[in-house]
Amino acid sequence: MSYVQALTCKECGKEYPIEPRTVCDVDFGPVEVTYDYQKMKGKVTRASIEAGPRSLWRYKDLLPIEGEPKAGLHSGWTPLRRADRLAAELGVKELYLKDDSANYPTFSYKDRVVSVAMTKAIEFGFDTVGCASTGNLAHAVAAHSAAAGIRAFVVVPDNLEGGKMVGMTVFGPRVVRIKGNYDDVNRLCSQIADKYNWAIVNVNLRPFYTEGAKTHGHEIAEQMGWKLPQHTVVPVAGGTILPKVYKGYKEFIQLGLVDDNNPVIHAAQAAGCNPVVTAIREGRDLFHPQKPDTIAKSIAIGNPADGYYVIKDVTSSGGSGESASDPQIIDAIKLLARTEGIFTEPAGGTTLACAIKLIQSGKIPSNESACVCITGNGLKTVEVMDGQFAAAPSIGAKIGEFDELIQQLEEQRTTNSNSKTTASGV
Amino acid sequence: MPNVTQKVWLTFEGGRQNEPCLWKMTQAFPKVQFDIRQASVQADIGIMAVLFTGEEVDVERSLALLKKLGVKVDPVVGGDLIVG
Repeated sequence: MSYVQALTCKECGKEYPIEPRTVCDVDFGPVEVTYDYQKMKGKVTRASIEAGPRSLWRYKDLLPIEGEPKAGLHSGWTPLRRADRLAAELGVKELYLKDDSANYPTFSYKDRVVSVAMTKAIEFGFDTVGCASTGNLAHAVAAHSAAAGIRAFVVVPDNLEGGKMVGMTVFGPRVVRIKGNYDDVNRLCSQIADKYNWAIVNVNLRPFYTEGAKTHGHEIAEQMGWKLPQHTVVPVAGGTILPKVYKGYKEFIQLGLVDDNNPVIHAAQAAGCNPVVTAIREGRDLFHPQKPDTIAKSIAIGNPADGYYVIKDVTSSGGSGESASDPQIIDAIKLLARTEGIFTEPAGGTTLACAIKLIQSGKIPSNESACVCITGNGLKTVEVMDGQFAAAPSIGAKIGEFDELIQQLEEQRTTNSNSKTTASGV
Repeated sequence: MPNVTQKVWLTFEGGRQNEPCLWKMTQAFPKVQFDIRQASVQADIGIMAVLFTGEEVDVERSLALLKKLGVKVDPVVGGDLIVG
């Protein structure tokens, strides 16, 4: 049974039937899936959700599909980790990490949104799906379409480095290189969707695709024991995930599945591409588009489609915007790996670096609970860590040389420990 | 020639929000209709959703003129520019 009501314009409220559509005909505002929450009451319960599969599809009643899921059957339900070692370093009491770097099958939160978009594409009867992307989205579209047996097109600019192609081409999509920049590629995708009647997941299926991001928030709430963190720090790229995590929280509150603790949502962006954070700080509703210049490529969107709604949600929740420089992002990646054993991509490093700054500034008080959203895996972007670590010692295959090395390392450790004690004045 | 329609977002920044850019466009291309569907204009930035209708060549030229006047013109595609 589906509880979906309509596609509703976020600006004027005009309703449309459930169909492939991106914007409202009247004011070009984005359309969003709306549900009959009254009808869900008493039917969508903690027990009904807990009885569902260990995947994002346990929240099927809150997703815009009609029948059974047809893609991403093992996506979602990623670990929510209580990060005590990291919390101790940062001086906070209760810190959680929602770890989509472990998402299946392509190790980013995009597996959630593409699972829903792909299912919807099959329901609508599309025989071809596509996207314009060079990273996590392309990987997810290529992998999920391979598993579903649907033809996929990934459109990229023709100057793309060869290395980036492997992660998508291995799944067998048709990759098309376009002579032009990303603006040109994106525009062409929109025309392709219209002319060829293909499902471009983040264009004509965008209202359905974005709903998949809610499950990141649903899982945080359920995995915390049916309660919400007081603070949630979410990265902002196009602005898909932050409003949807918040929508997920609000849905659970409305259905009485969690208590309303007035959850605060904070936005994280790289300093080299922070149009939304800048607008929040300056108290503006609108952001100035920017030309990205950061190592955090997966969140480097200078003109985010849903940036306006991010500003609205962050502000209305009482949250803040924070941004981090590239060196701060690298330091945060290292800190997360060293303390919690999670290797995240620069987007995750950005989110943690911003969370640290929010803690240091008191915007996340040390005695309140906080969750940091880790949205992708560092093994996909190892190049950003080049030159970050000293070369490992190389020795002969003799136990004597190994003994000597251990002695040197012990001496170094003692020296470092003594200098730290002296520096702290203890 | 048949009429075409184009949905665009116009962004006015850097002082353009205080200039009559659309008026200048209509002086140059009086046959191009513009229909403002949504607008938000603040002190330092203005954004409008506009539907342009007219002969294809005129619509293209009118948008080119707006760009020349410093107005940012983005087609309404509804998606993101995914770089990474």
